[in-house]
Formats: sequence, C-alpha cells, structure tokens
Amino acid sequence: MSELRVEGLAKRFGGLRVFQDISFVLPSGALLGVIGPNGAGKTTLINVISGRQPASAGRIVLDGRDVTNQPAHAISRLGLARSFQQTNTFKSVSVRENIARAIRFGQRGIPKGLENLLIEFGLTARLDEQSDKLPYGLQKMLGLAMAFATSPKVLLLDEPAAGLERAERNNVDLFVKHVREAGASVLIVEHDMDLIRRLCPRILVLDAGVLLADGSPAEVLARPDVIAAYLGDSEEAA
Amino acid sequence: MTPLIPRARFLLGGAEIAAILVFAAAFAVPTMTRSVLVYSVMNQALVGVVAAQSVWIMLRMNLLSFASPAFMAIGGYTVAIAGQHDITDAFVLTAAAFLLPALVAVPLGALVLRLKGTYFVLVTFVLSQIMQLLLFETPGLTGGSNGISGIPPVTFLGTELATNKQVVLFACGIALLATIITACLTRYFRQHFAAIEENEILAESLGLVVWRYKALGFVVAAGIAGLAGYSLVTMLLTAHPSSFESGTAVDFIAYTIVGGRASILGPVVGTASLVYATNLFGTHGQYAQGLYGALILVVVLALRGGVVGTVASLVRRIR
Repeated sequence: MSELRVEGLAKRFGGLRVFQDISFVLPSGALLGVIGPNGAGKTTLINVISGRQPASAGRIVLDGRDVTNQPAHAISRLGLARSFQQTNTFKSVSVRENIARAIRFGQRGIPKGLENLLIEFGLTARLDEQSDKLPYGLQKMLGLAMAFATSPKVLLLDEPAAGLERAERNNVDLFVKHVREAGASVLIVEHDMDLIRRLCPRILVLDAGVLLADGSPAEVLARPDVIAAYLGDSEEAA
Repeated sequence: MTPLIPRARFLLGGAEIAAILVFAAAFAVPTMTRSVLVYSVMNQALVGVVAAQSVWIMLRMNLLSFASPAFMAIGGYTVAIAGQHDITDAFVLTAAAFLLPALVAVPLGALVLRLKGTYFVLVTFVLSQIMQLLLFETPGLTGGSNGISGIPPVTFLGTELATNKQVVLFACGIALLATIITACLTRYFRQHFAAIEENEILAESLGLVVWRYKALGFVVAAGIAGLAGYSLVTMLLTAHPSSFESGTAVDFIAYTIVGGRASILGPVVGTASLVYATNLFGTHGQYAQGLYGALILVVVLALRGGVVGTVASLVRRIR
C-alpha cells in the first residue's frame, strides 16, 4: 500500500503565510487533482510534501511513515517522486543519460512500462539527442518520464500540461494511465480544467493558502465560493 | 541495439589517461636537463597543478573553493613537524599529508557544504584566513611567524632525496599520485558530480544524496591539497605561513579556469601555461603582475571553456 496522508500542513516564509491547515489523504492507486488561482500555494505544497522546502507545521505520512521535513532524496527513495512546472532536465546530456540518471539515483529499479512510455512519447527515436535540443513539449515529457523512471509509489505532478499544445496534452493523459497501471497514486496540480475533469475523480481547491473544497469535480466546481475564487465575486466583477 | 540504460562501467576516459601520461612523461624531463631554471619552473608547476586539481574536484560540483591553501598548510606542516621528529619516510609522509587534511575536512565539510554560491566561496576564503591566524598564533607547534625550517629531506626506500633532480622527480611522483586519485574519483562518480553541477535540485528530487557526494569531493580535495602542501614543503625544506596565504587560492583557481573546468586536462594545461607566463613576465619587472592579469582576462573572455574546452569544441566542429 502507498498511502500519502497530509495532516494540518502549513508553510510560512517569515511573516508570509503560504498555506495553512491543509489535510487530505491520497489513497493507494488514487488520483487527486489540486486546483486554485495563481499564488494559492499549490507548487509550494508540492515542494513541502516532496522535501524541497521544510514544513512550518503539520505532518506528512507516506505508507505509515512520518516523512515530514525529511530531505528530498530520502523521500524520493521512499517512493515519492515529483515533476516540475518548468522543463527540468539535465540539459547537457542525452535523453538516454537523463533516464539512466533517474533510474540510478532513484535506486528502485527500472519500472515496468518505461520503455512503452518512451515509445508513446516519441522519445525512443531521440534517445541519443541532447535533451535541451528537444522541442519544449518533449522536454516536458522527458521530465515526466524521469519522475516515472524512479519507480514511484506516489507521484506529484506540478502543472504537467502547462505550455503544451492541445495535441501534446493527450500525452499527459497517457502518462497518468501508465503511472496508474504501474500501481502508483497521483496528485496533479493543474490549471487546465478540462484535463482535471477528464482525469480526476476527486479534486481539492486551494485559495490563498486555505483548503476551500474537497470533492468530485462536479460538486466542487459548482460551489459559489470556488467560482468566486477563480472568477472573482460579482461585486468585484461589477 | 543500444540498451535503454547502458551498464555503468568504470573506465578512465581519454582525458584522464592523457593527464596520467603527462605526469608519467614528466619523470623523463629531469633526466634530460640539469638546468636549475627548468627544475624550478617544473617544481612550481607540479605543486600548482596538484593544488589546482583540488580546486577542480570541487568545481565538478559547481563549488568554487578558496580553502585549498588551508589544507595545503595542514599537509605541509604535518610533513614539517614529522620531519622535526625524524620521520622522513616518503610513504608515511605521503599518507599523513593526504589523510590529515582529509580528516580535518570531514567536520569542516559538514559546516561549509550547507552553503552555496557566494556564501560557500566566502566561507572557504575565511577558512584559509583562519588557518593563517592559527599558523601565526601557535608558535609552539608551527614556529609562528618564523615557520619551521631545516626540515630533513624526505627519504624514499632509504635514499635521501636531497638533490634538485631528486626533488623534482619526487614532485612528479606526488603529481602523478594526485592525478590518479583525482581521475579515479571524478571518473567513478562522474554522473553524480555532473548531475550536481548541472541541476542539483533535480538530482536530489530523483534520489541522489547530494550532500554525500559533496562531502566526498570536499574530503578528497582536501587530501589532494595536502599533497600539494607536502610537495611545496619538500621543495623548500621550510614550512612558512607565507607559502599558504589565502590569496594563493586565486592562482589555483585561475589555473583551473584558464585551462578549462570541463576536463581533468584543464588544470594541467592551465597551470603549465600560467606558471610559464609568470616566469616569462617576471623579466618585465613592475609590469609582470599587470601582464599576468591581462593574460588571464584575455583567456577568460576569449576562451569561455578555457584552453582545453575551446580546443575540444574546435575539434568537435572539425569532425
């Protein structure tokens, strides 16, 4: 089982509160979307869960083990991987070397389905190309493939569709399918509401660092406070 | 078809083999000439290249260290103090000159490797300054401002290395040993070091224990700097604080940057070029420092990858 449990998580930078009292459970094999306006604290939430930044309060429990404020490498080796909002690869080396580093550094073996994923992304034909010579979309897919190559049990995706063309966004669906077939659970932070509706049976809404809603997309997106958070309330609009 | 993930193999690359061969070949030079000038320039270059390798190891992880003079001082004074106690065996002294600075680097690394960028640079510079203070303020151990002089020559398999030629040959041996250690370390962990150099955040998020490799690099770099100090003290038969001033780190960094930081040949070529230039410009009296600075400026601005990096990129283009 690979359950991720977040309890009362908070993050402050000095006097600035980024988010507070965030609690949720990502059960084994589940898929959870996180949405919210810019500045809501979504990326920082991923940074804190993955060990990139320390939590100010609260607990993060992975498979029953408290991993709060553990270093990023330790959390990664326990099976929690992440992707980045921007393209993030080792730019001076080949696609093959990028994947090889992910496998070696993760030390969890080669995940089942990795080769198929690379074929479907169109990366197999470009394995020996330097990664920064790839088009933006493929660099983004390479970043996702690298996170998958660490054989994660839980995967945090930070805006995987950002900057992608419409046709390329299908690759995100494909990626999530592969990850779930491999038995991992997925948390997706995303602005693309079509993608969120398509993929996620459950979503969380963050607004100004507060957990505003938790439920199915249909329920959550119909709530007036969520609509107001995204579009501004009627008085503001007027 | 090439497998998706090639097996990691530990083989020295062309640059590493070339660097080792350079120092193996250097043994021939003292047998071909008796020129004191050649011996002197060679000695300077051999000490410089070992110190530059210490800098280069840390640059492989994008860490610019000014701590090399501090560790050189530990290596050099270890040998000097051992000499005062009639310990002159080359093997014992080599082990001590490497291990003592490396051991000191363990707790220091735990402190300074938390820092990055400018902060790391500043703190390593401060380490070298503190070392100067320690050398001056512990006269009972280090001789204070007088240093330690009259150190007996090193003995190698029972033979005293007393002549100029023997000292140069000994410096060749130390440079060869330092090059082999540096080549093995940076080749074996090349993917780890390269990943840290290029994208530390990504490397750590993939599971690489970044601090472990930084600490390993820092400890070995300290040991290598200790060997440079050993070589220097063996050449001068004196250990003096002025030999290990923090400012000398600038020279070792310049050797590495001018030669090129992408290859182990960089410190070798950079040191050889700049030591030769120093001696050449030395004949121009008061203009010497200016000419030396201008040369570094021109090379850094015109050859962004250093001499070796630029040559390598030209060769790639021609191919």
